[in-house]
Amino acid sequence: MKTIHIFLIFIVVVLLQLFVPAKMILDREDVIKTGTQYKFKTQPVDPNDPFRGKYVTLNYEIDSAEAVAMDSTIQRGDKILVYLDTDSLGYAKLHSVSKYKINTERDYVEAKVQWYNLNNKKVNFQLEFNRYYMEEFKAKPAEDIYRKYNSRQDSIHNTYALVAVKEGEAVLKDVYINDKSIHYYIEKEANQ
Amino acid sequence: MKSKILNELTELLEHNIISKDVASNISSYYQAKSDEQPNRLFTVFGVLGSALVGLGVILILAHNWDSFSRLVKTFFAFLPLIIGQVISGYSILQKKGQAWKESSGTFLFFAIGASIALVSQIYNIPGDLSEYLLTWILLGLPLIYVLNSKAVSMLIIVFATYYACELGYNFGYANNAPWFYLVILFGTVPFYINLLRKSPNANSTSIFNWLYALSFVIVLGSFIDTNWSMGFVMYAMLFGLFYNLGKTPVYNNQQLRRNSFLLIGSLGTVVLLLILSFNMIWKEMYEEPIVFNSQEMLISIGLFVCAIGFLLYSKKHKENSKFNLFQYAFLLFAIVFVIGNGNYGLGTIFTNVLVLTLGVFAVKIGADSFRFSVLNYGLLIISAMIVCRFFDTDMSFVLRGTLFVIVGLGFFLTNYFMLKKQKELKQKTLK
Repeated sequence: MKTIHIFLIFIVVVLLQLFVPAKMILDREDVIKTGTQYKFKTQPVDPNDPFRGKYVTLNYEIDSAEAVAMDSTIQRGDKILVYLDTDSLGYAKLHSVSKYKINTERDYVEAKVQWYNLNNKKVNFQLEFNRYYMEEFKAKPAEDIYRKYNSRQDSIHNTYALVAVKEGEAVLKDVYINDKSIHYYIEKEANQ
Repeated sequence: MKSKILNELTELLEHNIISKDVASNISSYYQAKSDEQPNRLFTVFGVLGSALVGLGVILILAHNWDSFSRLVKTFFAFLPLIIGQVISGYSILQKKGQAWKESSGTFLFFAIGASIALVSQIYNIPGDLSEYLLTWILLGLPLIYVLNSKAVSMLIIVFATYYACELGYNFGYANNAPWFYLVILFGTVPFYINLLRKSPNANSTSIFNWLYALSFVIVLGSFIDTNWSMGFVMYAMLFGLFYNLGKTPVYNNQQLRRNSFLLIGSLGTVVLLLILSFNMIWKEMYEEPIVFNSQEMLISIGLFVCAIGFLLYSKKHKENSKFNLFQYAFLLFAIVFVIGNGNYGLGTIFTNVLVLTLGVFAVKIGADSFRFSVLNYGLLIISAMIVCRFFDTDMSFVLRGTLFVIVGLGFFLTNYFMLKKQKELKQKTLK
């Protein structure tokens, strides 16, 4: 093959390599700009990924639902759609789950099935947006700060994730404790 | 190596063993040979250097710099990628040597990983490690061909294996067979076949032989879903396929240490059979019925058909015309497995007989061809089997002891007789 032909193929490959991260960015930017924001109540813990660094895993309070009859074929590891609602305090609330898209204007997000209990028709799932990447040395303090605020066992301290949702796509924007970003607490802790 | 020969040449000249003409012919031959090959060391260090820099970039980006704005982070996500692309494009257009292409390809491969990793961090994109690895590998795969790069191909095989293990050995989640692994490896095969055609004896090609063989052995287990007993069949078929592939002329004409398929096929078969020579495993398997309509069965049949194909192909060639039990071991195992699922006692007995016969057969091959390595490999198989029986407590101590003594003597005597015979033969030919 001639060099110029190889080079043309190479250009296609290059464009593809640029397109994939660019598309990832543009899709998320679109969700952030035009999507609806939801507050998901959560509790963070800190693991890490060999290539992408430290992150905080978020365990959401929304993690199980009654499945409808048509969803009885649900299996562990399946993707299901979680339809959302908002409660009186402004936090995200579960409306319903479904294996297939239902005809409604309601916002939804994807979740992975953990297990499905055939007896009480209850499905346990994990919301997909459960990784919040943080600077290497802040992930652990973030977890500790959360524990500190949570250990008081009162309902005043609320931890939640701010998530933008649009057409099933969700972008996790920030994690909040009592309406202040977790970064605020990390800095406060560092200054002390 | 080259300088060693040239040193020898002067010595040979001094002692009038060879003429001046012969000496100059030899030295010009080696000179021409070394001119044909570009500086290999330069390529190796280039690849190692770019791999380290690339990995370093990934690690630095993984720190996840909080103080930078989203825009700055995005800029840094694309920076290494574009640098890698420009250098790679330059080496293609300027028809740079292999060292350039290999190094720039390696760097670009890691830059792709760095780029999508940083984007994932900036936007907290969900998805576990395996999904991220898959995107990375698929974007890097074409580089093998456009840059004609062995290093990228090796990286793809290693990362594909990593991906398959991440996804497939994720215990708990059902139906996570890493099918994309097969697609990726299939994508690298044309490049490998080309290498086998052009330079079957190159060191890099033998690295590929080993990478492919090891990768398949590591990953195959991740395709086992719930029918674990079929896993034994899958591996037996894979080793059968490997052994017969190793017997095809492409591999068979090479040195044994380069023939990864033959070595792993043979060793794998023996180890597998040794595991199955225990009665309790057959008993456990007997209690779990075989599911015929399963992915394990499908894969076993696929591997079986391929193994038969390679067996028939290898038998077409003269050097394989002699009967070799190792080539048929997978077929016999399939029969033993079917019998064993009906009657686990028979399964155990037949497996033991099969291991023993394989051992004796290896001894015979070794003795016939005067190869001590094969002879002792056969003896090792037999003794390994006897050691395994040592743990089966229902055998009398006297019997076990006697068996050990017999095998020990066997080691000693067979080696001794073969050595003696070889000496006699040498003396005969000298006379």
